[in-house]
Amino acid sequence: MSGIVVGRADEIPAGGRKIVVPFRGRAGIGIFNIGGRFYALRNICPHKRGPLCTGEVAGRGVAQTPPSVGASHIDYERDGQILRCPWHAWQFDIASGQCLVDPTVRVKTYPVLVDGDDLIVVVDISDLSRER
Amino acid sequence: MAVIDKLEQIHIGKHGAAPIAAPGWTAKSRDRVKLVDCDVHHNFREASELLPYLPRFYQEHLLDQGLHLPGAGYANTPFRRTRPDLKDPQLQERDFNFSLEFTQKELLDRWGIDFALLTGPPVFYAYAGLPDPDWAAALCTAFNDWTIDKWLGRDARIINAILVAPNDPALAVREIHRLVHREDTVAVMMPMQTPLPFGNRAYHPIWEACAEHDLPVVSHIGGASPGSTPTPVGFPSYYMEARMTRPSVASAQAASLIVEGVFERFPNLKFAMTEVQQMWAVPLMWHMDVDWKAIGDQTPWLKRLPSEYFREHIRIGSQPMHEPPQTEQVYQMLEMLHADETLIFCSDFPHFDWNDPVTVLPRLDERTHRRIFAQNALDMLRISDAMIERACA
Repeated sequence: MSGIVVGRADEIPAGGRKIVVPFRGRAGIGIFNIGGRFYALRNICPHKRGPLCTGEVAGRGVAQTPPSVGASHIDYERDGQILRCPWHAWQFDIASGQCLVDPTVRVKTYPVLVDGDDLIVVVDISDLSRER
Repeated sequence: MAVIDKLEQIHIGKHGAAPIAAPGWTAKSRDRVKLVDCDVHHNFREASELLPYLPRFYQEHLLDQGLHLPGAGYANTPFRRTRPDLKDPQLQERDFNFSLEFTQKELLDRWGIDFALLTGPPVFYAYAGLPDPDWAAALCTAFNDWTIDKWLGRDARIINAILVAPNDPALAVREIHRLVHREDTVAVMMPMQTPLPFGNRAYHPIWEACAEHDLPVVSHIGGASPGSTPTPVGFPSYYMEARMTRPSVASAQAASLIVEGVFERFPNLKFAMTEVQQMWAVPLMWHMDVDWKAIGDQTPWLKRLPSEYFREHIRIGSQPMHEPPQTEQVYQMLEMLHADETLIFCSDFPHFDWNDPVTVLPRLDERTHRRIFAQNALDMLRISDAMIERACA
């Protein structure tokens, strides 16, 4: 495993992101700041290999029951925690990489460290070279 | 054999097709049933036969104006609507199957049918498009009572789908509650062409009443709204052209039921669609699943893939069956359709495009055969062990 300095921690404000292409990587890694915590995901959607980390970050609607006559209640949850691939709109939980529309699908995540001002993503270099 | 616990049969997993049985059903009893026909059209000879079953005001209405059902001009018109071989050449009748005796002789006895679901005359389904909701409801009530008088209680093989109108959903609920106590009420028939798609909340009270009483909806093509077009692209000119639009009607209704959450709201509701062909369901399931992954969060009450709702809740009539060029393609078709879960045998007796139970499909494995020709229907219709005892005696 190798730690790669991908930038300064203050480059990515809460709600922001940065996409980096580290050594030998192709598609790169997206680093997201959610409420002061950093998360890193591979920038390849496991569905059709779209540029996942360039997608929209938002939350999602939740409803316990379908709307009916005089009864409709839809909440909105996890605002700022869900990433949506720009190619086919599949949603992923940024923190875990879990795909929210297919329980068998997950995007690779990487540990992120903050060392002083440095933002460090921990990667296996050989794994990056397998990205194609 | 233990009595099937109804509650345990709901949500049996992703493969759907869970039997949602009425209390008192046993598998042993159900195994005796070999052939269930879910689309048998019975009819009155003259509309005046309904007079004794109409309130006084509507008797005058019928005498004065007739049924005056809306119609686009091509509802099952060829061959006077009926198989020519069944016709008495002396009678110049437009439609047929006017008597229980005729059904017994030409259908039940001849083909060995254990249960035949009466579904009424398709031309009559245009009541669903009547502008006057009270007239539509009165016609349904009259037809249901006429059926009780003339057809029911004389042959244990005859079971009934009571007609209800979409025009005023509260009146449809009232009609269901009026007849739900009858043992031979095993389903509710609502014509498939309605002013609003089936998932619309306006119809939820009807589905709620069905679910409350373990009655499936058996929806046959027909109905239509006055002044509206029978297709999304306008009026077809010819009957065959109009028939080809049926899968789009069924697709729209199935998608509406699923997406608007009817099966989340009423988890024991089963919904059969008859005389709309079959294969439309395959691309519908596939396309809905793709779309659910992309935009399912716009309808967040959907907890599962749309195809899972389809396979668990929607049943498709086997008539008119596709006849692909290669027999092998029939098997592929049935597999893609999950026919062992979704397909129910329908003859459409006595119409020109009917399917008999012997030649409608090539030879199937025993399990698939049994599911299509009996079990899928039995898992859906409200048929008790006692009814099976009598029908299979």
